Amino acid sequence: MKKMPKRYVGKNIFKVDAQDKVTGKAQYSDDIYFDDMLYLKIKRATYPHAYLRRIDISKAQKIPGVVKIITAADIPEVKNFGLIIKDQPVLIGIGRKMRYMGDALAIVIAESKEIASKAVKLIEVEVEKLEVISDPLRAMEKDAPLIHQDSNILATHYLEKGDVKKGFTQADVIVENEYKTSFLDQVPLQIEAGIGVFDPETEIIKLWAATQWLHDTQADVAQSLGLPKEKIRIIQPVIGGAFGKKEDISVHIHLALAAIATKRPVKFSYTREESMIAQSKRHPFIIQMKTGVTKKGYLTACQVEVIGDTGAYASSGLAVVHKGMYHCTGPYNVDNVKGVAHTVYTNNTYCGAMRGFGATQMAFAYESQMDILSHKLEIDPVQFRLQNAYNHGSSTPNGQILTHSVGVKETIKEAADMTGWKEGR
Amino acid sequence: MKKQGRGMATIMFGFGYGEGFPDHSIASVEIEDSGKILIRTAAADVGQGVLTVITQIAAEVLKVKPEIIRIIPGDTHLTKSSGSTSATRQTFFTGNAVKEASEGLLSNIYHYASIEFRSNHVELEIKDGYIFRNDNPNYRLSYWELADKVKERGDSLKAEASFFPHTDKPDPKTGQGEKLYVAYTFVTQIVDVEVDTDTGVVEILNVYTAADIGKAINPKNVEGQIEGGTVQGIGMALMEEQVIKEGITLNPNLTGYLIPTSMDTPRFVTRLVENEDSEGPFGAKGIGEPATIATTPAIANAIYDAIGVRIYHLPITPEKILKALKEKRKNK
Amino acid sequence: MSKLTIGFIINGQKKIIETTPFTRLLDLIRDDLHLTGTKEGCGKGECGACTVIMNGELVASCLILALQADGAVITTIEGIGSGGHLDPIQKAFVETGAVQCGFCTPGMILAAKKLLEENPYPTEEEIKRGISGNLCRCTGYQKIFDAIKLAANRLSTRDGGRGEKDA
Ligand code: FES
Ligand code: FES
Repeated sequence: MKKMPKRYVGKNIFKVDAQDKVTGKAQYSDDIYFDDMLYLKIKRATYPHAYLRRIDISKAQKIPGVVKIITAADIPEVKNFGLIIKDQPVLIGIGRKMRYMGDALAIVIAESKEIASKAVKLIEVEVEKLEVISDPLRAMEKDAPLIHQDSNILATHYLEKGDVKKGFTQADVIVENEYKTSFLDQVPLQIEAGIGVFDPETEIIKLWAATQWLHDTQADVAQSLGLPKEKIRIIQPVIGGAFGKKEDISVHIHLALAAIATKRPVKFSYTREESMIAQSKRHPFIIQMKTGVTKKGYLTACQVEVIGDTGAYASSGLAVVHKGMYHCTGPYNVDNVKGVAHTVYTNNTYCGAMRGFGATQMAFAYESQMDILSHKLEIDPVQFRLQNAYNHGSSTPNGQILTHSVGVKETIKEAADMTGWKEGR
Repeated sequence: MKKQGRGMATIMFGFGYGEGFPDHSIASVEIEDSGKILIRTAAADVGQGVLTVITQIAAEVLKVKPEIIRIIPGDTHLTKSSGSTSATRQTFFTGNAVKEASEGLLSNIYHYASIEFRSNHVELEIKDGYIFRNDNPNYRLSYWELADKVKERGDSLKAEASFFPHTDKPDPKTGQGEKLYVAYTFVTQIVDVEVDTDTGVVEILNVYTAADIGKAINPKNVEGQIEGGTVQGIGMALMEEQVIKEGITLNPNLTGYLIPTSMDTPRFVTRLVENEDSEGPFGAKGIGEPATIATTPAIANAIYDAIGVRIYHLPITPEKILKALKEKRKNK
Repeated sequence: MSKLTIGFIINGQKKIIETTPFTRLLDLIRDDLHLTGTKEGCGKGECGACTVIMNGELVASCLILALQADGAVITTIEGIGSGGHLDPIQKAFVETGAVQCGFCTPGMILAAKKLLEENPYPTEEEIKRGISGNLCRCTGYQKIFDAIKLAANRLSTRDGGRGEKDA
C-alpha cells in the first residue's frame, strides 16, 4: 500500500521541550521554591526485618527549627499504598514490622534541610530483630518466617501451550541452563523530589512531584489519606528521567501529610543514597531454562522456571515476573511451552518496574540458549534465528496470533546486512 | 591478549499493560484564543519525547506548523488520565488518542466551515490553519476566526478522544489468551566486543541495530531511544549491580554502583524497519523498552565468541571473566 | 550558625551574599540565587549535574563550599545563553537530539563549553574524554558527541577557522 507523504510525521522535528532544557529554564520538582518553605526528611528503618518496639522523638523535637515530627501514632487513619497490592505502610507504627531498610518510621519537618537531617539522627529507636531473609530461595522454604501475613510467595503464574513432553521427545538436542540477573537501579539522573502545599480554602493538597502516571499516583495518595481524589492535585513538573523508578510513590504521601500538618509549603528531596535504598529496583531473576531443537535447527520445546525477588513490597512485581515468563521463547515459533513464575517477598529493597519489565531479564536467558544451540548444531546464528522467527500468523507463548506488523525477520536480515554478516564470521 | 568477538540477539516485546487490564489514554485538542492549538494530556514526558510525538501527530492531522501546538503541563485537575509512561505505550496510546482527537477537531472545523461558507464538505480545502472554498481561495477563515464564529453559535472548536484497545486476561492455569498485548516490537542487535584476556575488561566496539518499530514518528528520537537503551544494556551486561547483602545495600552511590560513562559508548549503526502495519498512529509502535533488551544477551554471546567462555550470572565483570578463563585453561 | 559575607561575580553580575561556613556552593546557587539550571544528581562529585565554571575551571559545585567562591567568577548554564540568545553549543544540543530528560544537559553544556575553549577542534575520542565526568542516563552519549562536533564546526567556521559549513 502506498502511503501519502507526510509533512511532520516521520520528520526530525526538534524536541518541543529542548529549548527550556538547554537554557536551564525547565523546572524540575526540586527547582520550585516557595517563601516560608519547610524541609522534610525521613527517619528510615534501622534493621531490615524487625518489630518496632519504641520510638523516641523527644531529643529531636527539642532542636530549634524543628517544626513537626509525625509518627504512625499521629496518623492512625492513614492506609497502606502500593501499585497493585496495598502492602506498603506510610509509616511503621509501634508493634509493627519494618521489612526493608527503606521503610519510613518518622517524618521530620524543619526550617532547613540541615536541621531536619540533624533531627533525624536524634530519633531513638528500639527494635526486636527477626531473621533477615535476603535470599528468595530461603524465603520459599516452609520454615522461613513470613514477611507479610501470608506466604512469602506473593504469586505464582503458569504458562502452558502444546505439550512440552512431546516437544522434548521430538528434539534431537536439548540444553538446560540456569541464568541469574542482579538488582539494578534505574538511576534516572534526577533524584526523587517534590513540594506539597495545603490550600486551607479549598482543602486541596497540591503536589509538585514527578510521576510516570499522574492520575494513578493521585488515586493512591488519596486512598491512603482517605480523601476524595479531587482533594489531591498533582502537577507534573519536568521529569529528569524515570525508567520505571517513578512509577512508585516516593515523596508524595509524606509530603501531603507534612503539608496538612504544618499548613506551610514543604519540600522533600531524597539523596541519591536514599533513592537507591528506598525506591524500586529491577528484579533479580533466577531462570531455569530448557530448550529443545531438532537436528535441522527447529525449536520444539521450551520449559522455564522463574523466581523473581520482589523484595519487601509487591510494587509491580507480580506483573513484572510473569511478563518475563510470557516472553520466554523470544520471537520464535515454539509449539510446546511450559512455564512457572514465582514472585517472592524478601527483606531486600522492593523491586518494581524498570525498562523491559521482566522481558529484559528473560531475553538474557533465551538468547543465550539460542547462541548455545547454534554452536551445538553448527548452524549459523543468523540462519538459525531466521528459520525459527515469527511470521504473520505465528503464535506467541500465550497463544496470541500475530496479525499485524511482524517485522522480526526483516530486523534479522537488516542487522546481518549492516555487518556484512557472511564474511563477518 | 585482546580478542574480538561478535554476538547477536533478537528480541520481542509485547507492549501496553495488556492482559485485560483497562488500558487507555484520553486526550483533547482545542482551538485556543491565543492563536495556538492546545492539547490536553496527562502523558508524562520523562525525556523520551512523547510531547514531541503528539505535537507532530496533531500538526500532521490539523495541517498546521508544529510551533502552533501547545501542550498543557500535566495536571490532575486540568487533564484526564493518559495512563502511565511505561510499558512502551505512550506513542501508541496517547499518540492514537491525540490523532483521533485531532481528527475530531478537523471534522468540526469542516462542519462549521461548511455552514459559514454555505458549501458541502468536498468543496472545502484546508491549508496552514486556514479553511476556504476551492472555488474562492481568497475568501478564507483561519481556525481562530472560525472558532470565534462557532462561539457565537454557542459551541466551541474542540474534540476529545480516547484510545482504549481491548486485551484478554490470560487463563490463570495456562497463560493462554487471544490477545495478550496490543502489539509487539522486534529488535535485532549485533555487537562487536574486544575482551582483554589479561584484565578481563570488555570493550564494546560496534552495535548494529535493526528495530521494527512500525513507523518512526521522529526517526532521530527513535535513534536516541535505541542508543540510550543500548548503553543501559551495556551497563546491565558488564557493570551494574546493586549489591544487597542481608537486606543492606552495600553500594548506594554512583561510585559503588557504576553506570556507563561517555567512555563506554560504542559506535552505533541503526536501521529502522518501517512496515507501517501496526494499529498505532500512522502505523507506529513503541520503542522505549525494547531498545534495551537485546543488548545484554548480544554482548554475552559476543564475549563467548571472543574467548569461548559463557557467563550465566550478570553482570559479566572482569573478575568473572578471568575466573572463567582460568577454569577453561584448567579443564583443557 | 555563624554567618559570613562573601562576594563574587556570577553570570556577569556582582553578588554580595550572606552564607554559612557549611553551605555548599550548589545550595548557594540554587537555594539563595534560585539559579536552578544547576542540578544535583548525587551530591558527591560523581555525576556532573552540578557542574559550573569557576575561575575558568569546571567544578562540581556540590563539592565546593560557598566560602571558596569568595572573589570568584562563576558561570552557570543561565550565563551561557537564554531565550532568544542561545549559545551555539546549546543550539547544537537542541538540533542533534542530545537532550532527552535534560537533567544532565546544563552540566554537559558547561563541560562542552570548557572543552571547546581549550580544544576547538576535538576528535570524537577527545570529546568522549572531555565529558567523561558528566553522567547521562538517557542518551547513550552519542547525540551529545554529535552536538559538540556540530558546535565545534560552527564555532570554527565563525572564527574563520578550518571548520565545515553549517550542517
Ligand atoms: S551533584 Fe555534584 S557531581 Fe553529582
Ligand atoms: S538527558 Fe537525561 S540524563 Fe542526560
